[in-house]
Amino acid sequence: MSSSLKELQDLIQEKYGIDPATLDPNESMRDKGFDSLALVEFLFEIEDRLKISLPDPDPSIETLAGLAAVVDRVRAQQADAGEPAADTSAAS
Amino acid sequence: MSAVAVTGLGVVSPHGEDPQALFAALLRGESAVRPIFPELAKPAAAATVAFDESRWFTKLQLAGVDRVSQMAVAAADLAVKDAGGLHGAAPERVGVFGGCGMGGAVALEAAYRSGMATGAGRVPPLTVPAFMPNAPASHVAMRQQAQGPVFTYSVACASSAVAIAEAAKAVQRGEVDVAIAGGSEALIVPGVVMAWQAMQTLAAFPAGDAQAAATAVRPFAADRSGFALGEGAAFLVLESAARAKARGARAHALLAGWGHSCDATHLTKPEAAGQARALRMALQGAGLAPAEVGYCNAHGTATKIGDPIERDALALAWGGDLDRLKVSSTKALHGHLLGAAGALEAVITVLALAKRQLPPNAHCDAPDAACALNLVRPGAVDAPDLEAAVSSSFAFGGSNAVLVFRRA
Repeated sequence: MSSSLKELQDLIQEKYGIDPATLDPNESMRDKGFDSLALVEFLFEIEDRLKISLPDPDPSIETLAGLAAVVDRVRAQQADAGEPAADTSAAS
Repeated sequence: MSAVAVTGLGVVSPHGEDPQALFAALLRGESAVRPIFPELAKPAAAATVAFDESRWFTKLQLAGVDRVSQMAVAAADLAVKDAGGLHGAAPERVGVFGGCGMGGAVALEAAYRSGMATGAGRVPPLTVPAFMPNAPASHVAMRQQAQGPVFTYSVACASSAVAIAEAAKAVQRGEVDVAIAGGSEALIVPGVVMAWQAMQTLAAFPAGDAQAAATAVRPFAADRSGFALGEGAAFLVLESAARAKARGARAHALLAGWGHSCDATHLTKPEAAGQARALRMALQGAGLAPAEVGYCNAHGTATKIGDPIERDALALAWGGDLDRLKVSSTKALHGHLLGAAGALEAVITVLALAKRQLPPNAHCDAPDAACALNLVRPGAVDAPDLEAAVSSSFAFGGSNAVLVFRRA
């Protein structure tokens, strides 16, 4: 399982009041009410919270699991580039 | 031309979301104007709305929806419910006619603040769809599935009066079966309030004095010093009187006439002749003589310049019958809702007609001799013979809009 998935689920719970149990990571987020505008806002929030820079909106991001995989990949790239991850700075 | 019936009323106002409770509070002379933003250098007051957006939106639905659109959706929904629903109107035969002066001021101010913050400032990605002035009408359309004409009128303080008149025309021409018409405004944020303070049109009061703030707006009074900003939304459901009758709907009133004009002289200084043209056109359209109109919900912003000019305009239009016209400006109590003012005051005028009761011209203990009008005194509410009433909205930009209502 993606290491970021739990964080995204928590963020969705906090921001939208949506219980993770009601949002299957492998189902379409659009079907759960995340239209293109809501998704753009959510991506912005993820960038702010996780201190990462996501690629331009990726049409392949259809599910929460898919989004978590993108976040994982971005974090891995940042780690490779020697950038501190947000969670380590919080722990220091 | 067929008559246009007002079959639904909806408000999200500084006096709440129940039109009847709003009207009762006005009759009691209750002011909703309170001190705001104590951090500002100059004391500020406004009539704000205790609005619970969660009754209308999930948190997910709120993405990119500014307060001005939230309140529009709520007020329009309340109006449609009051009308008993759209009653089978085909979606493409339903129109939305919304007035809005500024658009999403809350989103815009937040964007400026975050974008220009020290460091890597970022602007929320939905700032543009949140602040565009036609967003409120579009959100109303989506919520009500109105697929006909969906228009926004941005005519400063006359915005929603113009919207209501344009909606009535569309109903009369048969372009729509049902029109959801009104307006919304939500710009009580520090930056906008400071801009209005700089304009020198807001009522003065001593810092920290809540009682003085509540009574600071004194239309037509000798000691008036301007208005207080208000926020909120109001919508009316309009349909032909024939359609309303056929479906057994109650009509609160008939929208009998409207008048438009532009002073075309000055951007912010009003002119009596221009206002009088709109008043006369509205009476003519309604087929009414001045003496047949018993009440005017005045624009009455309580500015030094504006009030006597409005008095002169009424004198020009009413002539020798001016004393028979009862006048009040309810802005003393609910503030100036700018782009939503015409709609809120239209609702109040409709209720005055339906109840044959007049809201007072509050806080005017000593009327200005230059504003000699038959003002509604507090407590003198009963108007048993009232048959028709007007609501005036005169805008920065010189545009004037007048609506005439008759008892149904």
